[in-house]
Amino acid sequence: MENKESVEHLVALKVMRLTKPALISPKIVTCDFKDLPGNILNNFLKDDATSVVQMETLAAGQFLLLPQSFGNIYLGETFSCYVCVHNETNQPVQSVSIKADLQTSSQRIPLTTQQNQSPIMLDVDETLSDVIHHEVKDLGTHILVCEVTYMSNYSTLASFRKFFKFEVLKPLDVKTKFYNAESDDVFVEAQVQNITSGPIILETVALESSHQFTVKSLNEDDNGVSVFGDVTLLQPQESCQYSYCLTPKENILKDIKLLAAAKNIGKLDIVWRSNLGEKGRLQTSQLQRMIPDYGDIRVTYENVPSRVPIDEPFKFNCKIVNASERTLDLILKLRSLQNSSLLWCGISNRKLGPLEPGNTTIVNLTVLPINSGLHTVTGVSLVDLFLKRTYDYDDLASVYVC
Amino acid sequence: MDNKPTLSQYFGGSEIPPASQFFDEIGTSPSEMIQSIYLGESEAGISAPRAFTSPPDPQEIFTNVIPTVSSATAVPATSLPDPSTFFDTIGPEPQIGSSKSNLISAAVITEAMDGLSVKNQPVDKEGDRRRDAWIPNEEAKKTLLKAQSSPKGSFFPEREVLTMPGLVLEEELADALQEIAVKYLGVSSAGSRGVVRAEHVSRDEAGLRELLRTGYLRAAVNLTATLLSAAGQGAGRMHRPTKHSQRSLQLWLTRFAVMCRIKLYEPLLKEAEPFGDFTKPDMFYEFYPEAYENRTGSLVPFSLRLLVAELPGHVGKPEEAMDRLYAMLDVIEQMISNLKSGKTEVGTDNISAEDQKESLRLWNGRRIRVLHSITNCAIALKDYRLATKILTTLKNEATNVQQQRALHSALCRVALLAGHGRAAVAHCSNAKDARNHICPTPDVREYVDLGLIDIAHGKYQDAYNNFARAADQEPTNIMVANNLAVCLLYMGRLKEAISVLQKAIHSDPERGLNESLLINLCTLYELESSKTNEKKLNLLRMLCKHKSDTIPNVLECLKLA
Repeated sequence: MENKESVEHLVALKVMRLTKPALISPKIVTCDFKDLPGNILNNFLKDDATSVVQMETLAAGQFLLLPQSFGNIYLGETFSCYVCVHNETNQPVQSVSIKADLQTSSQRIPLTTQQNQSPIMLDVDETLSDVIHHEVKDLGTHILVCEVTYMSNYSTLASFRKFFKFEVLKPLDVKTKFYNAESDDVFVEAQVQNITSGPIILETVALESSHQFTVKSLNEDDNGVSVFGDVTLLQPQESCQYSYCLTPKENILKDIKLLAAAKNIGKLDIVWRSNLGEKGRLQTSQLQRMIPDYGDIRVTYENVPSRVPIDEPFKFNCKIVNASERTLDLILKLRSLQNSSLLWCGISNRKLGPLEPGNTTIVNLTVLPINSGLHTVTGVSLVDLFLKRTYDYDDLASVYVC
Repeated sequence: MDNKPTLSQYFGGSEIPPASQFFDEIGTSPSEMIQSIYLGESEAGISAPRAFTSPPDPQEIFTNVIPTVSSATAVPATSLPDPSTFFDTIGPEPQIGSSKSNLISAAVITEAMDGLSVKNQPVDKEGDRRRDAWIPNEEAKKTLLKAQSSPKGSFFPEREVLTMPGLVLEEELADALQEIAVKYLGVSSAGSRGVVRAEHVSRDEAGLRELLRTGYLRAAVNLTATLLSAAGQGAGRMHRPTKHSQRSLQLWLTRFAVMCRIKLYEPLLKEAEPFGDFTKPDMFYEFYPEAYENRTGSLVPFSLRLLVAELPGHVGKPEEAMDRLYAMLDVIEQMISNLKSGKTEVGTDNISAEDQKESLRLWNGRRIRVLHSITNCAIALKDYRLATKILTTLKNEATNVQQQRALHSALCRVALLAGHGRAAVAHCSNAKDARNHICPTPDVREYVDLGLIDIAHGKYQDAYNNFARAADQEPTNIMVANNLAVCLLYMGRLKEAISVLQKAIHSDPERGLNESLLINLCTLYELESSKTNEKKLNLLRMLCKHKSDTIPNVLECLKLA
């Protein structure tokens, strides 16, 4: 009678989104009791069911208020709603059932109701209701389609649908940066920005490495305490930067081909919470690093001391890896430049013998520091006898001489 | 009993009322510790039989400034919807040391009821100084010095230094609930409601208190308008010089406080605007050396200062409120620092040890009240970092275990608002440790906090169980019943949720007919069925029966279109 739906149908369908309830407090107005209103207003406050005994003047109440609007919904959150079918007539209605689907731009997802799968009879003033949960995994427009079926007065099945449209928004902006270290470790910086309209707590931010790497989080100190302090609360637009160190697994470290192919770093797994614990969870797609270009030959120094005494020779290893597709025939040249403070000891123009593709040779080198200060190790060259090409390595390491 | 309107015969209508004029039976309480900080348990209730006062003789209306202790003013019980309003609580904390009498004898109360004891109130100069103390800003100081040093009658202040308030809200406010009742239930149903209007009480402070006490808040606003007009600060008086008194400022306080409660923010903002932040020199006693010889401090009641500072927060500008509150806090901390160094609040004279103690207690209390307001602004701004920081400071300063416990519990809920479950659990466990010092078993507050944590984790059944434990302890607790109902909805049990709320309302209509609870119940009604009108009108009938004019947004609460 009151509105069109009830005229047409024996049952009415109502849907309410269940975001987390709010904590409400009373309007806090107080007086000194020497003031004109005395304690009257204070007593109003004290008698208010929403105030907290002995903390009446603090707006951190315990009284739950049901959500009063649809609110925003973000990717990774769980869409929950209460679906309720009510018998609006004064006689029982037979074979009532509800079906709910969620239509996104790309697919139609049937939502599983928790109970009442089979049609039931609704007595006068009875309701058939259900709480539906669905984790939203798509951005953009969603339409909740609810269909109610029941047995009409003419013993035929009647049904009607209701549509509820909402937009799923992006909650976080994640920016990543990679740094490939000489040691073959990969450092990852991930900047997580809150682009929702309210504050959020980042509950978990974890890098789940791909099978090629092992990961070490750099966001805790040695005792496992977060470097961000107690609370990782992000106000809207604020961001927080997490760092990770990824080490290639042993079998990959050994093989420069595999190392060069190890693009996939892993995925960031982020769990956040907002208003009264509303939870969201997102996983990024596979993060990919830029592979460093090793060329034909990759040279790295190992065990270079950072600090050495003057006039005392020191040793380090020069690691040479054949990153090309052919066998290399190399000559190692050591030149002490005119004004260099580091003088090479040992044989120059040494022939290193054939080096198979992917293989490694390690040459032990000795240097004599003659001046104090910070000096770069220079003057190392490799000559490829086949291509007659010379590669200079002048800037791979520095030592402090004192 | 009914000689009230003629009381003025005995006391006359002096223009500057005696300092004790705002003492009523409540004010005779030994401690002026603002109750508003921790509104302690009321220790006693006084009920007094009442009978209607006849309207006062119009000629005497504005001269009768002596409060005649409103509990003696009388309204037939049948016309009063709210039985609890017969009870006035005596102020809290008599244990706090004070040289004044700690016990209020029946005789004092009777005297106070007759309105005669007012005359006999000892003038507590220390108490006045303590309460009124406020440090004027540099500009005001200059003017005040001039006022003090000018020969009698030769001080003519500039217009700029004057506070010139006036009424903006001119129309008489009607009883909102009554209007709605007439509209939705018809004249006949609404007629059963006893309506008290300004004419039914004496047109003075006592009448005003009567209206407040019985919850006729709009009528109270109307009466403040009448009284302020009589004091020369009525409609059209804004931006015109006027004479301020303790009384006029108390009237403004009452008016603003009630307007704030019933959410008449727009006119309230306009009317508060001329007061600014109460820094003008004419807000200080020193501005009136002839009228208030030797009296110092501000005429502005602390509660008024606080209320006006908080005001922007009510209209969506909590940042502005925050600035004003911090400015207040700054002055208070300056005064506390003066007190600590053995000086008076304003730092001019030395102070006795006993007064120092009392003053520190008062101003520390006020400081905490301001910090609570700042925290409330922070919560409104969703700046949970700041809220947590202030509450943590307060918790560390708290001297007794009850306060510590209450603050841990508040911290727990702020963490929940932010969604920080882990911190909430930690705070809750700290609160529990503190509670163990008070009582050995969990109480309602603890169970409710635990239930709220469960809700944050999405465990509604666990939350329900915790709320149910709380309900076992206090079966009539409205908040617990409400939370149970909310839980039930999330568990898919709408019908039960509705019945819990309805039961709560019927078991204690006075407290149960709460704005937020009504919103919850009507939300559930609307979810259940499209035929909700009759149920809502039933609630409206209950409101008419049990409540006066205290709920500002009845239509919104009942979701009546």
